[in-house]
Amino acid sequence: MSPKAVQYRTGSIIYFKGEQGDKIFLLNSGKVSLSSVDIETGQVLRDQIKMGEFFGVKSALGRYIREEDAVVLQDAAVMVFSVPEFEQLASKNTRIIMKMLKVFSNQLRRVHRQVQNLMVSDEQVNPETGLYKIGEYYLKNKRYGQALHAYKKYLVYYPSGAYATEATSKIVQAEEYLSRYGSGVPAASFVAADSSQAPAPAALRAASGQGPAAAEETSGLAQAYYNAVSLITQEKYLEAFKALKKILEGGADPEYSSKAEFDMAKCLFYLKQYDNCIKSFTAIAQKFPKHPELKDALFFVGRSYEEKGEKARAGSLYKKIISMGPEDDPVVRKVRKALRSMEGEKV
Amino acid sequence: MSPALGPDLSMFNRFSKLFRKGDIIFCEYEPGDTFYLIQSGRVQIVRIIGDLEKNIDILNPTEVFGEMAILEEAPRSATAIALDDVKALEFNRENFEVLMMGNPQIAMKLLKLFVKRIYDQKRRFMILTLDDVEAKVADVFLMLAENQAIDMSTVDTIDFKTTADDISHWAGIPPGQCREVLNHFVAQRKIELYPDRIVVKIINDFARFVSTRRKHQEK
Repeated sequence: MSPKAVQYRTGSIIYFKGEQGDKIFLLNSGKVSLSSVDIETGQVLRDQIKMGEFFGVKSALGRYIREEDAVVLQDAAVMVFSVPEFEQLASKNTRIIMKMLKVFSNQLRRVHRQVQNLMVSDEQVNPETGLYKIGEYYLKNKRYGQALHAYKKYLVYYPSGAYATEATSKIVQAEEYLSRYGSGVPAASFVAADSSQAPAPAALRAASGQGPAAAEETSGLAQAYYNAVSLITQEKYLEAFKALKKILEGGADPEYSSKAEFDMAKCLFYLKQYDNCIKSFTAIAQKFPKHPELKDALFFVGRSYEEKGEKARAGSLYKKIISMGPEDDPVVRKVRKALRSMEGEKV
Repeated sequence: MSPALGPDLSMFNRFSKLFRKGDIIFCEYEPGDTFYLIQSGRVQIVRIIGDLEKNIDILNPTEVFGEMAILEEAPRSATAIALDDVKALEFNRENFEVLMMGNPQIAMKLLKLFVKRIYDQKRRFMILTLDDVEAKVADVFLMLAENQAIDMSTVDTIDFKTTADDISHWAGIPPGQCREVLNHFVAQRKIELYPDRIVVKIINDFARFVSTRRKHQEK
């Protein structure tokens, strides 16, 4: 098979609007005009094909119906290509494709604008706010690497933007979490992640009633808290406990007080003070029955029982956490694993 | 066409970029002037809508993404995240011509992608120009059916994996208004509404309805 040369008489129609067509045409001589209706104005547009120009490309390549009538204005000699024939020709002469890319990208730009003009305004988010909120979303969902990326991009494009201060302090925060817990989890694959110990900063902040606008993260208090937490990651639990205790006793900020209290209880576990750990986390769970990290807290209590050799109590607590679901929650998964290994041990 | 892509690309390795699993390749709303062709690994395209991350697409090697950036420095309309370790060719205005000239397969691929995008945008435009909100919503379902290449002459009931918020986005109307319309359709037993899908009972009813509205409008 090869392209066919076809002669058309003046006044004949090569194809009609609305037809299904799989052929691409190249004008060798004569005059052909395409007439289409502008989607925006309803006006009939006429576009004369130049010699050596292709037409019918879009509908053939995309397998869409023809959008215009191709009318012969003066006896025309036309080469007719099937799509594979056209592709073969174009692959040897990329300039053909480049030229079309230019034409199509102009068309795309135009129709894109037409669509944007018709969209209701509330559909369009200001890009600056939008970008910042991407960071917020990922930070809240403990996907620190992604949060960090978004905040950094925000500062690249809006170094003195409305959220620049917040973005800067969120970067500090995200970096801190990142170094402690890893990059969080990639989209749609929570399975691979082990972020069960990662705190939910935004959720906690919401619990203590502070809006996101409160950009106090880099304050001295925040710094003190992060220093204490970094001691935990260095396994300096006693020092961490003392530093956290100071923050709690200072009581300057309910958010950091509650964070400190939580992390102190964690330290107690690592310091093998299991009874105190159980007491502390039980108190937290009673005080904040809807604590965003309740499952984590209960898990520490369960582990404490397990360490103490009270496997029945540990087991029933583990089962309780699992029943709180959801199944794919990283903490729940960890608990399930702990339960399995404990029961395995018993056998 | 994918086998043909392999050997040709080796000479373009200097335009190749590596992304670690989980890396953001670009962010929604970020101005963009680059686009990508995946050489290895998968890329997930997501949008954050309200408080949810919505999966738009998962792309495989030899697929192109971010191509709208070549048009103008418009903000990205979605976020691209590396789902695996990803190797991708990065195109920009400077290397675009070099890369295209040396690789007709990619150029052809892009050409076809542009054709599809132009058609998609025109189709959207058709929906937005309808005056009647019910017709807009009905036409969104027709568009979705067309995108799935469903032959509406042989099919009555279609189960769309879509949500009310998606429909409101495509129809270009506020979510509240869209819900009202959908509820009205439910009351008329034209559709069934579920959290993650919408069932259209008789798609041809919508086709007739939209066509009547469009004709009426043209008068």
